[in-house]
Amino acid sequence: MKLIVFRDNLKNGLLAAERAVADSSNLPILKNVLLKTVGNKIQLTTTNLELAITKLISGKIVEEGALSVPFSTFYSIVNNTTHDRINLERSESSFMVKTDNYEAKMQGSSAEDFPLVPRMESMDHYMEIDPVFFQDALQQVISAAHISDIRPEISGVLFDFQMTSLKLVATDSFRLAEKVIDGGRFKHTFEAGFKAIVPLRTAQELLRVISRTTPLLVHCDGNQMLFTSDDVELMSRLIDGTYPDYEQIIPKDAETEIALDKAHLMNAVKLVSNFSGKTNDVRLSTDIEGKTVTVHSVNQFLGENKYLIPARVTGAQITDIPFNWRYLLDGLKSIQGDSVVLRLNGNNRPALMRPESDISFLYVVMPIRV
Amino acid sequence: MSTMDCNELWQKVLGEVELQISRPNFITWFKNSSILEKKDGTVTIGLPNNFAREWVENKYHNTIFGTLRTIDSGIRKVEYILTKDSAKLSSNTKKTSSTQPYGDSSSQMMFNEIIIDPNTNLNPHHTMNSFIVGSSNEMAYAAATGILKEIGTKYNPLFIYGGVGVGKTHLMQALGNEIVKLYHGKVRARYITSEKFMNEVIWGMKNKRMESVKEKYRAIDVLIIDDIQFIAGKARTEEEFFHTFNALYEERKQIIISSDRSPKFIPVLEERLRSRFEGGMIVDIGYPDFELKAAVLRAKLAEKKADLSDEVIAEIVNKVKKGFRELEGILNRILFYQQVKNLIITPKLAEQIIAEVIKTPQKNIHPDVIIQTVSDFFEVPTADIMSHSRKQQVVEPRQIAIYLLRDILDLSYPFIGEKLGKRDHTTVLYAYEKISQEMTRNQTLNQKILSIKEILNKAYV
Repeated sequence: MKLIVFRDNLKNGLLAAERAVADSSNLPILKNVLLKTVGNKIQLTTTNLELAITKLISGKIVEEGALSVPFSTFYSIVNNTTHDRINLERSESSFMVKTDNYEAKMQGSSAEDFPLVPRMESMDHYMEIDPVFFQDALQQVISAAHISDIRPEISGVLFDFQMTSLKLVATDSFRLAEKVIDGGRFKHTFEAGFKAIVPLRTAQELLRVISRTTPLLVHCDGNQMLFTSDDVELMSRLIDGTYPDYEQIIPKDAETEIALDKAHLMNAVKLVSNFSGKTNDVRLSTDIEGKTVTVHSVNQFLGENKYLIPARVTGAQITDIPFNWRYLLDGLKSIQGDSVVLRLNGNNRPALMRPESDISFLYVVMPIRV
Repeated sequence: MSTMDCNELWQKVLGEVELQISRPNFITWFKNSSILEKKDGTVTIGLPNNFAREWVENKYHNTIFGTLRTIDSGIRKVEYILTKDSAKLSSNTKKTSSTQPYGDSSSQMMFNEIIIDPNTNLNPHHTMNSFIVGSSNEMAYAAATGILKEIGTKYNPLFIYGGVGVGKTHLMQALGNEIVKLYHGKVRARYITSEKFMNEVIWGMKNKRMESVKEKYRAIDVLIIDDIQFIAGKARTEEEFFHTFNALYEERKQIIISSDRSPKFIPVLEERLRSRFEGGMIVDIGYPDFELKAAVLRAKLAEKKADLSDEVIAEIVNKVKKGFRELEGILNRILFYQQVKNLIITPKLAEQIIAEVIKTPQKNIHPDVIIQTVSDFFEVPTADIMSHSRKQQVVEPRQIAIYLLRDILDLSYPFIGEKLGKRDHTTVLYAYEKISQEMTRNQTLNQKILSIKEILNKAYV
């Protein structure tokens, strides 16, 4: 194998593949990146046996071949070298990295020893979606996901595909976010609906590495999902198990409904949180006429503060319902549009947050116990 | 070919493969692999994930096939498939795990639907380890642990009764969780409240899907049903439960039932159900004594990483008459004062806070309602309570009615006497004092009175 590559191409390629490199494993080869010539492109592959990322980059191929090298060392060299052109050459099992005034000889491993990326059972069924829209939708729910010890099933984002819509759902058991992507937004060839739990790490990579200019293709065969866009492919295992019956969590009615300005509320939560203690709580109250919302917090060492926001309140008056301000802020950040609707059900039941003008997104959060 | 032979065969193959590849390779690719089936010359090998399947099939097929052939020359084909059960994501995603992303606030509430295991309906937080044993609940605990070893045969049904917040649900859920853990999911346990059971029966009737409700419950190995007293008087639910009970009982499936009182005292419970319940093991959980309450309180403090002085603990424990739920409510309130209001909790302050929390029963209950409730509870007609009969089964309810009229409504002795069949006020005074004293000594009596008060509270709050 003999290649000449532009430094930036190589660097970007390695960056895209970076997160699928295993950080610890029984198998040292998983810390490697596989370089392989495919047609007139160079393919970089990394995998931790849960996720595999494949990235194609361009470069001049003098001689075809394949080899895997330790990722972190290789990346450091590429990142720190100042020359534009990098010559890569394999002789026996050693790998030469050369620029005009630098030369490294690395230990490589035969491509034969590098894990094979599993194939999909069938490539016939897939969905095609605008990557920008998809990434924005995923971004809206992902902050609610968290790796959970209690329920591994929720350590990811649920793709609930129902032929005419795709719901993305994430929860960490304290709050839940749901985004509905309407069928008009995508084309697909699936014959039946499915539910798949995509690991959080894969979802994070989807936000990071897929191209924002070419349509994203999503394949699913029940055990794994393949995302392809332009020159990147992500092959991910799915989390096995049944996702909790999240629809039950979403409150259907509300004792109190509040409509208010989103920017105002965000500002209030940020400001008032300065006085909230270890419990991260800020408290919401409404006045008796239903014209304002007060956000306030008390701290035994610092004092207290409150912020008054004009609002339209219908239903029961509320006093001091405590929420974790970070959860509130996460939800508010995910809400698009200028005004937000809060639907509350007292001190012990979940509250719902959604944009006033858009029913495709909702965020449910549990209060803090008093 | 039996599983045993498959196992043995696979072990031989692994022995061969192990010699040819490095240890890390072997562990990575062959962990949780097995021979699932051997039939008509085809061996099916199960691998836990796609990566392993891809790799093993492509790299080790020849070795595996060769080894299999030397053992059994009839083998002509090897197939590789995915086994689902071990496909949980492994080690390297776990690093970031902590239950809560922001801070460590034990008071942040969770969605119940997520904590609870959808297959068993059990809350994993309730464990046998976290169940603190004292004199009031040791019988129930012993019965529960007895069941663990001999499911369905030793104590069947197990009937646990006791007042609100004494730990019935905790014990039953812990037992369920322990069973699931002990038998690795081979025993199907399911927890359900009688209310939910009732709703399912109603749903089944409405949608003409009674069969699927029946099937669902009859496929269970350990049925745990909470607060059975609520099905009393609901004829169709009782009947359905009776049949489910019989079906499970005949197949020696374990049934665990809880109630707020002994089957004897559940009014309008069908006789045939009552006798079924009494056919098994009946244990009660009494209201906790001082030591147990103190132990539980200390455990809760440790869990919440908080601290209170011994005097305050003693004050709380003395003031809390009922179960642990009340105890926790009071503790939360006190900790709120301590942590948010930054007050030093003295026994005196604790007393004030407790007084705020412990609600005095509603004063606007009509005296007739109390008499009626007592009469329902003991299944003695009100006319008998009012009468001058001296039969033992009438005297006790009458005295309890007197006690409650005085205790809850603070009525005058002459008025109570007038109300209950024109009795002399001294008779009333005597009865009230007798019950007041007796209550401190007699757990059963205390229990009955608390149960009646609870019924009153539930109905008139």
